Amino acid sequence: MLAALGPLVQRLSAAEAPGSIAAPAAAGPGGPAGPVTVLITGANRGIGLEFARRYAVLGYRVLATCRSPSAAPELQALAQKFPGLSVETLDVLDHAGIDILAQKFADLPIDILLNNAGIGGGGENQLFTRLNYETFYEVMAVNAVGPIKVCEAFLKHVQASRQKKMITVSSSQGSIGSVDAPRLYWYRASKSAVNMLMANLALQLKSRGIVVGLVTPGATDTDFMKGLPKRMLRPVEDAVTDMLREIERFDLARTGQFVDTTGDVLPW
Amino acid sequence: MTTTRRHAIALLTVLTLASGWAAAAHSAAHDSAQPAPAPVAAPMPADYVPTVLVTGANRGIGLELARQYAARGWKVIGTARKPSEAKELNALAAGSGGKVVVEALDVMDLAAIDALAKKYEGKPVDILFNNAGVTGGGENQQFAKSMKWELFDVVHRTNVVGPLKMAEAFLPNLQAGYQKKISNVSSSQGSIGSTKNGMLYIYRSSKAALNMVMKNLTNQLRSKGIAVALIDPGPVDTDMMASLPKKMLRPVTTAGSDLIRITDGLSMENTGTFWTFDGTVLPW
Repeated sequence: MLAALGPLVQRLSAAEAPGSIAAPAAAGPGGPAGPVTVLITGANRGIGLEFARRYAVLGYRVLATCRSPSAAPELQALAQKFPGLSVETLDVLDHAGIDILAQKFADLPIDILLNNAGIGGGGENQLFTRLNYETFYEVMAVNAVGPIKVCEAFLKHVQASRQKKMITVSSSQGSIGSVDAPRLYWYRASKSAVNMLMANLALQLKSRGIVVGLVTPGATDTDFMKGLPKRMLRPVEDAVTDMLREIERFDLARTGQFVDTTGDVLPW
Repeated sequence: MTTTRRHAIALLTVLTLASGWAAAAHSAAHDSAQPAPAPVAAPMPADYVPTVLVTGANRGIGLELARQYAARGWKVIGTARKPSEAKELNALAAGSGGKVVVEALDVMDLAAIDALAKKYEGKPVDILFNNAGVTGGGENQQFAKSMKWELFDVVHRTNVVGPLKMAEAFLPNLQAGYQKKISNVSSSQGSIGSTKNGMLYIYRSSKAALNMVMKNLTNQLRSKGIAVALIDPGPVDTDMMASLPKKMLRPVTTAGSDLIRITDGLSMENTGTFWTFDGTVLPW
């Protein structure tokens, strides 16, 4: 029993040492040292906020986007603390707004484009025989269409960077091969859809040296999961530690993969 | 699996059991997904005439399905968006002695689906054949070149929402039938694991989403003895594939008989499988 504790303890230790994951010097081969930039959608709370904080701590230039910066006090506090972090308005449902933001930063290489914004749609709206169809359209637009639109709008920015990574926060709920109890019809469909979109994108962009990855946070203690017992949820810091490591590990050989919190490939 | 991972899982399992929430977690995750024994199907009376409901029956694969089921002597409810323009389906109905019925239905119109289900209230539907689908056109979904973003809505409404809404609305009819089957015309283009290039983004994402909702539905309906299939007809010589060279396409009669053969073989033992037309199982 105790012998089995070793690996877990090691993992927890790693989680407490974010600096060991990635340093901004993680520039690609040959590139001049300089700021490494990450753009994060949905950075106002939960996993997105923790991503913003952790990348800022690591010294990255962080474009932290959210729908309503004025209603994002925690993100604003981060911007006060870290000069390299700026807060930008972005609603992934607003395609014109996505294009405007891309234009605003037209000359800025973006090393890591991080599609984090997502919605669950509410479990009660996704019960068969009581399906709320309006929920489908919103969940699909935010979780699947939004990310691929963001990738298209920021393609040139990522192409111009050194790391060249387009990462999307997917979910193990999007694994068709792992479906258990029938629930979350729309949410799951949206994640299967975004997995398909990113699998296509990985193949399309590989020859340009752009890496596309699908990471998963596991069940995490955020507003997103409220309603579930806390003891079933992992702290957001652990979820982000795992995903930061997996984002760092993504390279062209692994492009298009859908990985769990330990880096194992999930079934589609 | 690495040793580290095995240890971690073993540890978590032990911790889980020890902390006492295993039962709750297990029940939350698996409440309806137990491999519940399917109810024993009642034997079909010798003189029973099964009914199949085919969406998008006005042309292509849908029309062929209507023809072949009608040739078997089944009752066929064939839906089309514009029955007045469905000449071949109308001709089939006219010569069927009342066994083939044409109904107006656009699967994007959820209220119309409810209205049609209401019309057939109390009548059995043995097989729901979700055939209606759209591609959106390959030229409209090239990343960084020609993405027509508004297409997501129409393609997903037709290919994902429509089939699930049909299943929801006609659930009582399916339960009243003997065969209790939902067959969905999916596509190998919806197999994420088989993707070899970046194209048809919107169509492919709709079929992956269809596969996901139908995999959920499989587990939902297992205890009711209703089986669900996802079938790829392969490239077929229909209007949908008009841009492909003919030599790459299979005759629609062959595609129709393949889909029917696989649906004949659908059972509670293989429910939830994603097949291609020759019976090969496709990766998700």
